Amino acid sequence: MKRIFTRISVLAVFLLLAINVAFAQNITVKGVVTDGGDKTPLPGVTILIKGAQGGTQTDSNGNYSISVPSTATLVFNFVGYTAQEQAVANRTTINVGLASSTQQLEQVVVVGYGTQRKIDVTGSVATVKGEDISKQISTNPVGALQGKVAGVSITNTGTPGGSPTITIRGSGTIYGKTVPLYVVDGVWYDDINFLNPADIANISILKDASAQSIYGIRAANGVVLVTTNKGKKGDAVINYNGTVGFQKVTNQVEMANASEYATAVNEAYALQGAQPLFANTNLGEGTNWYDVALREALITNHQLSISGGSEKSTYNLSLGYLDQDGIVKNNNYKRYTARLSNDFQVFEPLKIGYNVTATSSKSKDPASGIFRALYAASPVVPVFNADGSYGDPNAFNLGNGSNMNPQATLDFFNQNTTKYKITGNVFAELKFLKNFTFRTSLGGDFGQEEVRGYIPVYKASNTQQNTNSKLDIDRIENRNWIIENTLTYDRKWTDHNLTVLVGQTAQRNKMYEINADALNVPYTSEGDLYLALGDAATRNVTDKGEISTFASYFARVNYSYKNRYLLNASIRRDGASQFFGSDNLWGNFPSIGAGWVITNEDFMKDQKIFSNLKLRGSWGKVGNAGVPFNPSTQTVDQSAGLIAFFGGLPYTGASIRSIVPPFLLWERSAGTDVGLEMGFLNNKLTIEADYYNRKTEQAIFDIPVLGSIGTQNSSLIANQADIQNRGFEFSATWADKTEGGFTYSISGNVGMNNNKVLNVTSGSNPIYRGGAGLTSGYLSTRTVNNRPIGEFFGYQVEGVFQSDAEAAAWPGFKRGDFKYADINGDGIIDLKDRVVLGNPNPKFTYGVNTNFAYKNFDLTLDIQGVADVDVFNANLSNRFGNENYTKDFITNRWNGPGTSNSYSSASLASGLNNAPNSFYVEKGDYIRLRNIQLGYTLPQAISNKMKMQRLRVFLNAQNAVNIFGYKGFSPEVGGAPTNAGIDTNVYPLFATYNFGLNVTF
Amino acid sequence: MKKNINLQSCIIATALGSMLFTASCKKDFLNVPPQAQQPSVTFWKTQDDALKGVNAMYANLRSWDNVAFNAIAIESTGSDEADKGSTPTDATFFNLFDQFTVTSTQGSLQGFWTGQYQNINLCNQVLDNVPNITMDAALKSRFLAEAKFIRAYSYFRLVRAYGNVPLRLNVPKDNTEYNIRQSDKANVYAQIEKDLTEAATVLPQSYGAADLGRATRGAALGLKAKAAMYQKKWADVLALTNQVMVLGYDLFSDYEKLFRTQNENNVESLFEVQAELLQSNGDASNSQYSQVQGVAGVMGWGFNTPSAELASAYESGDPRRDATILFRGETTPQGDLVPTTVPNERYNQKSYVPFNTRVSGFNEGAQQNFRVLRFADILLMNAEAANELGNPTQALTSLNRVRRRARGNNANILPDVTTTDQTALRNAIWKERQVELAMENDRYFDVIRQGRALQVFGPKGWKANKNEVWPIPQTEIDLSGGLLKQNPGY
Repeated sequence: MKRIFTRISVLAVFLLLAINVAFAQNITVKGVVTDGGDKTPLPGVTILIKGAQGGTQTDSNGNYSISVPSTATLVFNFVGYTAQEQAVANRTTINVGLASSTQQLEQVVVVGYGTQRKIDVTGSVATVKGEDISKQISTNPVGALQGKVAGVSITNTGTPGGSPTITIRGSGTIYGKTVPLYVVDGVWYDDINFLNPADIANISILKDASAQSIYGIRAANGVVLVTTNKGKKGDAVINYNGTVGFQKVTNQVEMANASEYATAVNEAYALQGAQPLFANTNLGEGTNWYDVALREALITNHQLSISGGSEKSTYNLSLGYLDQDGIVKNNNYKRYTARLSNDFQVFEPLKIGYNVTATSSKSKDPASGIFRALYAASPVVPVFNADGSYGDPNAFNLGNGSNMNPQATLDFFNQNTTKYKITGNVFAELKFLKNFTFRTSLGGDFGQEEVRGYIPVYKASNTQQNTNSKLDIDRIENRNWIIENTLTYDRKWTDHNLTVLVGQTAQRNKMYEINADALNVPYTSEGDLYLALGDAATRNVTDKGEISTFASYFARVNYSYKNRYLLNASIRRDGASQFFGSDNLWGNFPSIGAGWVITNEDFMKDQKIFSNLKLRGSWGKVGNAGVPFNPSTQTVDQSAGLIAFFGGLPYTGASIRSIVPPFLLWERSAGTDVGLEMGFLNNKLTIEADYYNRKTEQAIFDIPVLGSIGTQNSSLIANQADIQNRGFEFSATWADKTEGGFTYSISGNVGMNNNKVLNVTSGSNPIYRGGAGLTSGYLSTRTVNNRPIGEFFGYQVEGVFQSDAEAAAWPGFKRGDFKYADINGDGIIDLKDRVVLGNPNPKFTYGVNTNFAYKNFDLTLDIQGVADVDVFNANLSNRFGNENYTKDFITNRWNGPGTSNSYSSASLASGLNNAPNSFYVEKGDYIRLRNIQLGYTLPQAISNKMKMQRLRVFLNAQNAVNIFGYKGFSPEVGGAPTNAGIDTNVYPLFATYNFGLNVTF
Repeated sequence: MKKNINLQSCIIATALGSMLFTASCKKDFLNVPPQAQQPSVTFWKTQDDALKGVNAMYANLRSWDNVAFNAIAIESTGSDEADKGSTPTDATFFNLFDQFTVTSTQGSLQGFWTGQYQNINLCNQVLDNVPNITMDAALKSRFLAEAKFIRAYSYFRLVRAYGNVPLRLNVPKDNTEYNIRQSDKANVYAQIEKDLTEAATVLPQSYGAADLGRATRGAALGLKAKAAMYQKKWADVLALTNQVMVLGYDLFSDYEKLFRTQNENNVESLFEVQAELLQSNGDASNSQYSQVQGVAGVMGWGFNTPSAELASAYESGDPRRDATILFRGETTPQGDLVPTTVPNERYNQKSYVPFNTRVSGFNEGAQQNFRVLRFADILLMNAEAANELGNPTQALTSLNRVRRRARGNNANILPDVTTTDQTALRNAIWKERQVELAMENDRYFDVIRQGRALQVFGPKGWKANKNEVWPIPQTEIDLSGGLLKQNPGY
């Protein structure tokens, strides 16, 4: 009925127009209105006749037609674009490209539970468009964000199928989850590895506490909102994107050859007073193990999507296939994705729809520890002996640490990881009483992950052999659901703009893991790998599970007055089952933000400098419920280590081996953010600057306990530290188009973060971490009050002892050893003499992203880097004996008085030489040509002939150039807080070169 | 339009209904018990709980801290019988113990300390909680006696290693009981003797097959004798060893076979740490006692190797030399050839397990028991006490019983000792202890007890009035806020 009225009013307008026609001698002007930047047609552009009545709008394809006096002037108006005037001057075709001058201001951004005009946002929200993600040819959507957003630090893992580490504005937790919350079309995830990057329409990153706090207890590490592609009304559009390419290791570390190695080992033995191990050190080049195990690896990626829609419904179906070989032999990853979304406008006010994604992946995993093994393997050992048997390090008497032949490791390693996931949501959205929208969404996430390892019976050497085959199956199932109900009231009147949101959610996450193994499972084919075929007596099954439920209520008000004064406030109340039984089951997470759009003030009307000037500030609280489960419940230890044997048979043992804190609750952060947004020269240049200060309160931290209490762990955990992250972010974009048709944009961003632990309630007792097994048995990081999380901690190298006489004063040291600073001056070097050696938390992350287009060519060039960060070169320090040396070390080592005062002797594994010290801590700064892509779009005429709307071919190179001073493979190391930045067994850095094709039918 | 409104109201009603539903059941919705974990408040209720708690005490005795690197560093490396082993540049921290340059922050000091206190906690858990369980009374008192034995054993290892240590006899109830002072060495020994006296009155003389390996009356008396010997309470040593000698123990006929897994818990054994290689459970097969000392690259890592001094300490023809030391290139009685390419000349044969028992993915030799106390030690303690108390005849009888077993059928070696001169006999007994108990974590503290450490270990750097005990772990002193006092000289 309403629609009938609308039609009548349209009719009236036409009637009026017709009357106009009757009075003036008019001509008909036609044309297309497009975006001046990307040339997409703009529907709904208002076209008015200057100084006269009447006008029209463009249709869905940007076309318009209007009858006007031949001398009239047309005014083209569209929200988010600068108005443009065109004198008709007898022209009958006037095509207009509108400059998206105020685009930044009027742009709509996705925020929690809705969208907001960018102008109304008072927090810090960064958005990345889908095309910027798909241009990265990244296998993981998160990896594609690297260098794109200020303050978002991403560390890629090279492992095919692996998920990068993402840190938004620094680490604020030690024990809690460090991953941000990912919300994909309203469903919550910890990881979006299952998504095909090509399916993403848009990503919003909520960086400040006020924007995050609507996600309450899960938001402390930031929130990443992902909107996937939806169909658009119109004919079916078929898109194919495909790439094929290869990956090649870059920045390979050169290792010592056989002669150099033998010489160095003999030197080390001599220093220990032992006979030389090698009678003859003239052994030539020997084996280069990296050449043996690494390869140039293929990668192919295909994606096909079909989308479209009618008046009443839209659809989008996409299929993806990725096949990636690892750069280490026998490593491969395949992923299949399918995604379907449908929206139905059931009745005028009611829309329902669903999104569903199904993913399956299969990985032939890289042999465990292979990269460390390649580094450590001795070059004197042949890959194979003359008789075809494996080269045996034991035959060379090399001892522990280098007793593996990596070829045998590669050959007998058989582990597959398969993952299945089906996830999505159904929703209904009802508009009623003019201003209200009610939305309900039910999301589910069902996943299964299976790791199947099989060790066959083999014998390569005494240390690499297996007498009983073993099948190991580890299966993890996730069953999660989430219900969300929101009610939105949206009203604009005169100068007021008000949105009120109330909502409620409930969710339940269940994880169940079962692990089973059996010995003596015969192998004739992969189909034989069943536990039932193994020895019954050796079958072993364990399992575990986790269930957590959350209930939440929230409300938010957004108000703006005259588009000048902005006010946002929200509150969320969360309850989490993990804390059931404590007084702190429920938590409240409020936020408030205010903004002032100065350019919309009357007094700014006449200035020409700023096209946009906005000041905003916000404060909010968020929580992290991703803390260890029920740590305040003291439990019975029934671990296998307590199984006792009597008469040769096992008997269950159990006891209590812990003390627990009285209660434990979620971690909460309070953050403030002050931002300034500026636009100059009609927003050709836009600048955004933010200062933030975020404090995690009640962060879970260790309380070391006396060993004499006899607990199994040397510490217990409790909510007792504050962690601060504060910093600046700055981003600027210059976008322009020359007369000659050259369009380009250059944007740069930089984030600076300072991380510090404040106020540990239990005092200054530090947490020592940093993987003993990775660092020769020593702990290499310390986390303590007033210092950043996980700083490298060890001895300060002052030089190298040139003679035994010089070392004589220091018990345990000899010539060629590192000379350490005796910090406490007691004449003995021990753990009391350790100092801070470096900081693994990057201070600066930055990126430069550019786009150039000229005629049919387009070029994208992205640079990304990290500065002021340290890496612990544990590959170099982690030694138990005769591991190989790097060429750099061999060249510079101490081998006699005066030969070096910075590199120790080859006796690296002895004494305190392999203890964490300043020699092993290196600068981890790097700058990288992250992505370069050159594309050519065939002229429309040609592609149309080929029955295509568009055909584009491109060449792409990722990580092609990496500049860093670090002496390992890659300074991009990552790791959990307190264990970050320790480089050992890191997947080597590689570059990917692709040829690609985009076709639209 | 009417239809629309109906639909609207319907959906709103459903939505509000679902909100109310969630709200009303939120209490239950958020009440999720911990998954796959048993809360401790439900434990210590039944006889079965008591049994499990007692089993756990025994199990922890084979932990890394109790039998592997840290035990070797504290109890063996300082002696003249063992070298670091492995390749020269591997795990050189052992040299700090070998050369007596160790300082209080060294990790093995804390590891061994914590390992012993973990045992003590497991015992205290039993001693605090089992009395309140309604169960078979005889079994209950046996369980408590077993706990006292293991607690005494752990305190004995602590007091030898560190001297004055905190004496915890209960599970701390709250944080006011966490930080306690050290007790004097004498008080620690007094508690050890008290625990062992109480244990000995209750523990059975032996067990059926299903309980083989639990603490016995003989173990409690024997350990008490050893504790007495460390305090030079010779009358006690004599009396206690005499008591043990009538309990039915005997020397196992073949010294080499004594240490093989098939002869575990034999007639000579008073107490062993029980370990197995359980193919269905790698985590339970966690003893690394044999692995860390196994032939490097073949059956383990090759640490704690018998020294040249030990190899030359044996009388000519003493078969115990070959039974204790696995020489490079030798073929073992079980037929294993020790390759000539291994990095060390000698390995510990007492921890040796034949190579063919190796199961990949499991610790090599995980099935090897660690021998804590054997009847030969009892006899030698008996001999020493008798000699000190002026009874050379009994001393010679006990001493020569040990030598006779070693001699076997070969009359040409190891003749009976005949001297009745107290000093000469004392030296002979000490010498016998060196070779009979070699590589069993006895020698280092034995020499210190004898008061000869400066003479024997001095050339390696041992210092009087300092190295009688190792330093108290620094972390422990720091965490105590200075309540714990460092040993003199460190």
